[in-house]
Amino acid sequence: MKNEWSRRGFLKNTSGAMLATMAAGAPLTQLFSSCNSRKIKSTADTVILLWMAGGMPHTETFDPKAYMPFSTGMESNSVLSTFKSLPTAIDGVHFSEGLQSIGKIMDRGTVIRSYKAADMGFILHSRHQYHWHTCYQPPQSVMAPHIGAWIAKELGPLNPVIPAFIDIGQRFTLGEGEELKAFHTAGFLGNEYGPFLIADPSSGLESVRPPAGMSAQRFERRNQLYEELIKKSPLGEYGSDYQKESLKRSMEQAYMLLRSPEAEAFDLSREPKEVYDVYNTGRFGLGCLMARRLTEKGARFISVTTEYEPFKGWDTHDNGHTRITDMKKQIDGPIAQLIKDLERTGRLDRTIVILASEFSRDMMVEGRPGKKVQEQVNQPDIIKDIKFYGMHRHFTDGCSMLMFGGGIKKGYVHGKTADERPCKTVEKPIIIDQVHQSIYHALGIADDTHYVIEKRPFYTTPDGLGKAEKDLFI
Amino acid sequence: MLLENMLLNIWSFFGRLHPLTVHFPVALILFAAILELFTLKQFNSRLRPGIRLAVLFGALSAAISVVLGLILARDGDYGVQTLNIHQWSGISTAVLATAAAIILYGSGSSLGRGRIKLYRSVLFITAAGITVTGHFGASLTHGEDYLSGAFDKTKEEKQSFSKIDFASLISDTARLTPKQEMDINIQVKAIFAHNCYKCHGPEKIKGDLRLDNKKMIFRGGESGPLFVAGHPSESEIMHRLTVARDDSTAMPPKGKKIPDEDIRLIGLWIQKGAPWPDQSPNEKTFRIAKLEPRNPALPADVQHLVNPVDIWVNDYFNKKKIKWQKPVDDRIYLRRIFLDIIGLLPTPQELDAFEKDGDPAKRSAWVRQLLNRNDDYAANWFTFWNDALRNDYTGTGYITGGRSDISDWLYSSLKNNKPYNDFVKQLISPDKQSKGFIEGIKWRGVVNASQRTEIQAAQNVSQVFLGLNLKCASCHNSFINEWKLEDAYALADVFSDTSLEINRCDKPTGKYTNARMLWPQLGTIDSSKNHIEKQKQLAALMVRPEDGRLYRTIVNRIWAQLMGRGMVEPLDMMDNEPWSQDLLDWLAYNFTTQGHYDLKELIYTIATSKTYQLPSSGLANPLMLTAQDFRFAGMLRRRMTAEQFSDAVGNVVWPIFADSMVRYKPLFKIKKTDEPFVNRASLVQNNTFLTALGRPNRETVSTSRESQANLLQALELTNGTRFIDALKKGSERWTAKYPRNEELIKAIYTKSLLRLPEQDELKIAMKVFSESSRTEATEDLLWAIVLLPEFQLIY
Repeated sequence: MKNEWSRRGFLKNTSGAMLATMAAGAPLTQLFSSCNSRKIKSTADTVILLWMAGGMPHTETFDPKAYMPFSTGMESNSVLSTFKSLPTAIDGVHFSEGLQSIGKIMDRGTVIRSYKAADMGFILHSRHQYHWHTCYQPPQSVMAPHIGAWIAKELGPLNPVIPAFIDIGQRFTLGEGEELKAFHTAGFLGNEYGPFLIADPSSGLESVRPPAGMSAQRFERRNQLYEELIKKSPLGEYGSDYQKESLKRSMEQAYMLLRSPEAEAFDLSREPKEVYDVYNTGRFGLGCLMARRLTEKGARFISVTTEYEPFKGWDTHDNGHTRITDMKKQIDGPIAQLIKDLERTGRLDRTIVILASEFSRDMMVEGRPGKKVQEQVNQPDIIKDIKFYGMHRHFTDGCSMLMFGGGIKKGYVHGKTADERPCKTVEKPIIIDQVHQSIYHALGIADDTHYVIEKRPFYTTPDGLGKAEKDLFI
Repeated sequence: MLLENMLLNIWSFFGRLHPLTVHFPVALILFAAILELFTLKQFNSRLRPGIRLAVLFGALSAAISVVLGLILARDGDYGVQTLNIHQWSGISTAVLATAAAIILYGSGSSLGRGRIKLYRSVLFITAAGITVTGHFGASLTHGEDYLSGAFDKTKEEKQSFSKIDFASLISDTARLTPKQEMDINIQVKAIFAHNCYKCHGPEKIKGDLRLDNKKMIFRGGESGPLFVAGHPSESEIMHRLTVARDDSTAMPPKGKKIPDEDIRLIGLWIQKGAPWPDQSPNEKTFRIAKLEPRNPALPADVQHLVNPVDIWVNDYFNKKKIKWQKPVDDRIYLRRIFLDIIGLLPTPQELDAFEKDGDPAKRSAWVRQLLNRNDDYAANWFTFWNDALRNDYTGTGYITGGRSDISDWLYSSLKNNKPYNDFVKQLISPDKQSKGFIEGIKWRGVVNASQRTEIQAAQNVSQVFLGLNLKCASCHNSFINEWKLEDAYALADVFSDTSLEINRCDKPTGKYTNARMLWPQLGTIDSSKNHIEKQKQLAALMVRPEDGRLYRTIVNRIWAQLMGRGMVEPLDMMDNEPWSQDLLDWLAYNFTTQGHYDLKELIYTIATSKTYQLPSSGLANPLMLTAQDFRFAGMLRRRMTAEQFSDAVGNVVWPIFADSMVRYKPLFKIKKTDEPFVNRASLVQNNTFLTALGRPNRETVSTSRESQANLLQALELTNGTRFIDALKKGSERWTAKYPRNEELIKAIYTKSLLRLPEQDELKIAMKVFSESSRTEATEDLLWAIVLLPEFQLIY
């Protein structure tokens, strides 16, 4: 018995290295014939994706146009922005009112004003989100992996006890939940690379600690019991096979994570109150805080979402102006604080932070100009009620994104949209393939990375054609 | 004959003059129109005579161009839609130009005001028309994305296919290994497929050269042999790929150059002697399994074996010098047949009864009994078929009415043991109840041509029923098997009322095909009928006994379910070689003739064989599962499915899923005495617990599951609330039932592992009871036991 304990102690003391070895030995990684040999230099190790779920209107956020204050009887077609524009840290660049904190830190990052979302003929949020996160338009004949799963597969965890792909803030019990599940997956890469889901950051710790009510002592004892019984079980006589080995190995990994000091990263109550308060604008803000804490412990890919639920959050089919005021309150402080915190600890250099949404919004145009798709929102020509004052239709032809850190240019504006309706991309259009490849580029993942699945090459971006947008990098 | 040929050649020579002559009307008429603008104030300006000539020759050359264009269209490889627009706008323009000339010349030199107006309008319309015509003509010649391509950065470079480590090969003067030959050959094929098939394939044989099969490639084309093996620098193909892009011999003639590394790869391939390994005696590149059914005669030397499975395996063992091992004991056997047939663990009482059963044929008798537990059987096999048919209670598509559930049809088909030929027929030619499989999942909006529901249907029918991958061929001619783009569309056409335009890599080709089954020898389908009728015809052809492929595929799948590995692997590539062709053929043949397409009989035959009773073995590495040199020596150990594990935990510990999670309720809820009712997990909607344990989300068909554990799964089992709650409730029940600790531990072992604990195990367990409260100790013991490989594996 003594020996068993010392073995456990040994494992405890050498957790990192040991687990790395164990993870490296996982047989699943050999299952595909990978052909990804080209090495490129990386500028980032960690990715934080800040997901504005539901369609964030560019003219109301990071690409404001002429402000038209509300007045009863105004013409819908005259409204481009329902907020004032305010200056940012970049000379001559303005953001919409309510985003001053982020505006102040724009000297640390890049604003992209020319993202063009795919049109796909008819707006369905979850389908566009699927496309954004996998770079493939559904349906597909093999299961397309989420970008986080690709990264988990290619680079593995940065710290072996922290899952490589963590997804914070999305519940799957809401409308379109099934469609959301369809891309929150590692697809053909295998469950091993799938997302570790934390629906609510304030109870995230529960996912990584012993079951509620179980003392640490009992948790240890339970695990010890398991190990001893495995050893005595007659199935041991049958020698080694991969199923048995992978069962044992995965249980050990779970045990290591749950008892590791790194699990504290999931515990937001350990944060000083004043810091916690800055982040505490709701679940998204706390998600940013958790992302920051996880980054400090060695997470690889973290997605934090404002959460998609039909007609909630950024999905403003009515009352756009009022609701976007609230959304800005949720995101402005936490995002600015996240960037400043990362910078203060020196992690921003090797952490790439991306803010994005599946598409933008406009008051008049549904889909893209000249290629209108079926309208889903009724917008009167003359606005008599403030509930019609806002960007309620779905616009795919010009969207804003932010990028910080990890080799991304500082104080840079990429692309441009027209100043008059339709406020569509007029300079340096960028599409999802380029966005993905730019993230992969920062991480040192070659643009032709692919696996042969069912004997067909399946690339990170369709046919391996996507290229990183080098203009974004220093 | 010769004369005819010459005429044809002259004909096509004239056709090729079209791109030259069109420049005359373009220049002349546009020039005339521009000059005309300068004469708006003064019609009879000094420019007038020049304009008159320009209009006259413009009209003439337009007419000539139209004629030449019509000739060219006959033998060109052009998209129909663009060609149509170009042709009709061209003809109209020529007519208009002629009209302009006639008006201008018609009344001598003195034109009235009205006529001038008319003439000018016609001329300007002609000029506009010629611009439109010219644009579409250019699209035909240079490709539709010629202009926009200059702006589209993302498409700047062609996809490269060479994934070979050059450095190591080039310096290496030695011959390639067979494996390397195969690899480089496949890459060369991929390069040809994506860059050259369009003009040098079955649909179009420019320069008398085809690059889609070995014989044609080695034969070369009009300009002689394609290459000189061993000498890339003397090879025609290398010259053409590397010569300046504006050279008339450069290939490909239009669009972008093939990526450098691909050219280097072709060079390397030639340098190494242009290896093109044959995988089978016929000259096809890929092994093709025979379609016809085959009934091999059973060997005479049977050594008292009765079950044909055993007779064939004996034959295989003799050839491979493998010895028969002793069959497994009653406990292991009973556990196997319970899990494999009805998906549940036997109870200790059932094991007891089985062990005490004195009938020498009891194993067969018990298999029969289990097969007769219709609901339990259906609930177990429901899992397998739901995966394969992509059926689920929740999932994408339902939200916009783009998907139908077939649970009711499927469950009752399994419960009533529907003959497999009817089963397949009703899925391909469905009614309301079974249409979900063929109709697929429709997302709102526009989808990629290769993913429209008709193509999905063709892909899914081939994959599930025929063990055939048509996914490549849905986009371009496959280079992993012999199937062509047209084959995929011909099958897809069955599911559509009108013929689908063939799209290559999401670009329309202007070509159509007739509805056709993959193997024409099975019969024809009447393309003029609607999809309902065509599907009926396809269904009838598919299930004919002559379709050996269909029956080999299902027999192989059932074998894999019971044995942990198919005779052919991967299960969806039925062209691969089985480890015993005789066994596979015999089972498939007799499944149709003697077996009445009866799946339960097939399971009975396998599960009662001595072969099935051999001790199991494990694999050190999952890669070995699909290795083509696999040696069969008995079943492979496998993990319980997520559903089997949930059901087992439900019965041993406490139900994991509440009634509210059951989405399909075919069963009457029977209240047993003190046992809680366990909802079968296959009837429960997908959830985090089942997902973590490997239930797929059924967006695509899936015919095998991952059986490896991973961290996310282990976390779910370590602290997942559903699982932990079940353990808590279960431990209360167990402790209440058994007041004494030793008795309790023994009962738990007996119930979960169907054996008493060994002395050591008892000691370890007792120690936990001495350190914790009773319910906590019980909870932890239950947790540890159900996570043991001994509990989770079918061995």
